[in-house]
Amino acid sequence: MLKLGIDVGGTNTDAVLIRDSTEGAVLGVTKAPTTADVTGGIVAALRDLRETTGFEPGDIAAVMIGTTHFINALVEGGSLAQTAAIRFGLPATRALPPLVDWPQRLRTAIGGHSFLCHGGHEYDGTEIGPFDEFEFRTVLDKAVQAGATSFAVSSVFSPVNAEFENRAAEIIAEQLPGAPVSLSHEIGRMGLLGRENATIVNAALRDLADHVTTGLTRTVAEAGIGAPVFLSQNDGTLMDIDYARRYPVATFASGPTNSMRGAAFLSRTPSCAVVDVGGTTTDVGILRNGFPREASTDVSVAGVQTNFRMPDVLSIGIGGGSHVAQGADGITVGPESVGYRLTERALVFGGGQLTATDIAVAAGRADIGSAGVIGNSTRVAHLDPSLVEGALARIGARMAETVDRMRISAEPVPVVAVGGGSILVPDDLPGASEVIRPEHFAVANAIGAAIAQAGGEVDRVFSVSPQQREAVLDEARQEAVDRAVAAGARPGTVEIVDIEEVPLAYLPGNATRVRAKAVGELSLGGDRDA
Amino acid sequence: MRSTTGNTLGPAARGPAEVPAGAHRLAPADLPALASGATLLGSGGGGDVGVPARLLRHALAAGPVPLVAAPALPDDALVVHVGHVGAPDVLAERLVAAEDFVRAVRAVESAVGRRADAVGIIEIGGLNALIPALAATGLGLPVVDGDLMGRALPRVDQLTLAVDGHQATPFAVVDPAGDTVLVTSCAPRAVEPLVRANLAAMGGAAALALHPVTARVLRASGIPGTLTACLRLGETYLAARSAPPAEFAARIGARLLSAARIDEIQPRRGATTGSVTLHDHATGAVVRVDLLDELLAVTVDGETVAATPEIIVAVDPVEHTPVRSDQLRTGRTVLLLRLPALHQWPREAARLVGPAAYGLALAPGAGFRAAGQETPQNPGAPQNPGAPQDPGTPRSPAAPQDPWAPGERGRT
Repeated sequence: MLKLGIDVGGTNTDAVLIRDSTEGAVLGVTKAPTTADVTGGIVAALRDLRETTGFEPGDIAAVMIGTTHFINALVEGGSLAQTAAIRFGLPATRALPPLVDWPQRLRTAIGGHSFLCHGGHEYDGTEIGPFDEFEFRTVLDKAVQAGATSFAVSSVFSPVNAEFENRAAEIIAEQLPGAPVSLSHEIGRMGLLGRENATIVNAALRDLADHVTTGLTRTVAEAGIGAPVFLSQNDGTLMDIDYARRYPVATFASGPTNSMRGAAFLSRTPSCAVVDVGGTTTDVGILRNGFPREASTDVSVAGVQTNFRMPDVLSIGIGGGSHVAQGADGITVGPESVGYRLTERALVFGGGQLTATDIAVAAGRADIGSAGVIGNSTRVAHLDPSLVEGALARIGARMAETVDRMRISAEPVPVVAVGGGSILVPDDLPGASEVIRPEHFAVANAIGAAIAQAGGEVDRVFSVSPQQREAVLDEARQEAVDRAVAAGARPGTVEIVDIEEVPLAYLPGNATRVRAKAVGELSLGGDRDA
Repeated sequence: MRSTTGNTLGPAARGPAEVPAGAHRLAPADLPALASGATLLGSGGGGDVGVPARLLRHALAAGPVPLVAAPALPDDALVVHVGHVGAPDVLAERLVAAEDFVRAVRAVESAVGRRADAVGIIEIGGLNALIPALAATGLGLPVVDGDLMGRALPRVDQLTLAVDGHQATPFAVVDPAGDTVLVTSCAPRAVEPLVRANLAAMGGAAALALHPVTARVLRASGIPGTLTACLRLGETYLAARSAPPAEFAARIGARLLSAARIDEIQPRRGATTGSVTLHDHATGAVVRVDLLDELLAVTVDGETVAATPEIIVAVDPVEHTPVRSDQLRTGRTVLLLRLPALHQWPREAARLVGPAAYGLALAPGAGFRAAGQETPQNPGAPQNPGAPQDPGTPRSPAAPQDPWAPGERGRT
């Protein structure tokens, strides 16, 4: 079975062709510049891949696409829909209305339409107040008159009881048929402000998502490929294209997740530390059983606080373009960097700035791995060997320290070194059981997309009495499995990969937050009903 | 018990306390340090400071809140203590507002028959370190620099004022809908159950105002200078957080007990404590942490190295972000730290705030280390009342004329 993995980054669009996810033979890789319309880079990449591998479009079983397009759109504040943020919670929650802490620029970009209605629920699912249909219809009229075209609806404790959000969606569908509606209980987890913000971001991206998913589907079809198209989600699992159209926010962390999963897959080391050395920074992440460890703290995206689960990544200011200097306090490396101008400014490329890459070349490191020879090594032949040695030692020590801070046990971990500056990672990195430099690492993102599975997650508050604990956990597991199947997993292959229960403090009735995550092989080639 | 307000104000109503010139005024720029210090003093509990910090940032934008030391208040000045009670998870969904706390204070004022002169802090650990300042913005009053716990504790009767036999009444609980319950009198043992019973009808969380006391009483039974100590601890933490673990611990005045990976979690059930079993990388030791809402005790290879009311903190080994008890996960590595106490609880308080208060059977005396036994001293903390005064570290603006000089307090 052949799969196409495509990564649409801000600069490049990478595509890979692989045979079956478990054996994982990489049949071909390519890179093309990303175009403003997203699809141009894909067209070029697919054409090139077809020329180099000769694959038949009809043999492709699935196309997986990872993209940073939506998160970039939010960061840049472009192509965002006029969005109404409507919350049910009054008389509670009035002190912090929707959008209250958003950066002014983004708030303006989406129109700044913020509304509060009475209602919502308590933690036990009872109403804070009744649903006031007249009030909601009045708010809706105001929102429409103000120019809102996309609607984000949140309600207090909607992960416990989604009734108000669902009723609001019905009324919007009746008044404004076809208008995009984003409901907070379908998008975020407990914690009103973070969940609401994620919902508003999602709503603001719905027009763009419509446009992009339509373009992706058409582009793939025009290449003669009839296979289904999936998009990568934050947690490294897939969603089908219709789901992505409704939940573009679910792609936000897919970039680093795909990169790490791809690197682990290429090196056949599902539990490892991934050291990704770019031009300016080195990012270190940890994988367990092929999935990145999640950050414990809330993340802020473009200045908006959300409660997404993002991969836990630690960055240090050392990369291939880092300035290297001999000062009074010894040798320093970074954090200043020539960045993407490496090929103009570094010594080996005829520039005037001593960089980490120059040091690596002077030490003869540029010949190792798949990096090939970089620049002109005669331009760094004059460097003092003690400077070269000292700078390398400094870089190695910082990287070892970073890996050491991230790893979860005392035992040395396998380290997978990727990225354009990975020649800076020493083979004898302290704390590493081995340093693996996989082939094709430059397209790890696309590989990560290509190998992804379908997943489902539940994160809700259940009432768990000691006698019913197992029954409740089973209920959560079953719900996660059902969601994975709904997302496209083949029923027999779905496994629970994570389950946790956290009793809520100071609440009567044994209220417990249960989270379960299930992952399974994609159901392809008409075997979904098997 | 449900009451409407309406009692007339007594003739002693005196309005906001006068704040001495030069007193610190809490401003938006103080929030990162205040939130960090409060989270550390939460000892793994006390709730997420996030929502109150946001509310307070908006509220302080209209003007700073003055801090006042209890000794700087006239003897008969009225201080009403406020805090958020109930589930932090409810707060994260239903939020709170300064108005809720204003209502609770007004209800207590109506029962006392006079206006409050300053707002008191119940609990300097966790989100309740921030709530009184929020209430103060709504009331137009200063906040007293001090508290009644010296950390976070789970119950509303674990207070220095309660230990010294002061009545919590009249007290009031108010929910976001404005539902108000005023309790005019009740036995000390009934305070906690009455508050909890009302919380059940109020969606699991509420604003609380209790212990209306004169400044004279607070000077004798409160814990002085803890808001300033919390700010200093937070500042020190923010400056030290990127240092390596041992240096980080030393700089915030903590003892590094263990760096260990969580192997197993036994969740707490209601009022029954839970526990976490960890494996120490470096020493191979088996570490056990008992917990309820806060981290209650750390036992390394059978020896209890820290216990409540000592302050126990778990932090992330990478960025030294504090990890609350409900954020502990199997497979995570944490650094376990013991912070010096801001308050030396008397040994008689062991049944109230010691391990036994949670049903934990640990070695006698666990958690009640003698003052001075802890080295190095927390640079951000005021000296313990029984500890020798370090002339190099002024403890609070009121330190020179502080009436609780060592030896005068009778509670060591």
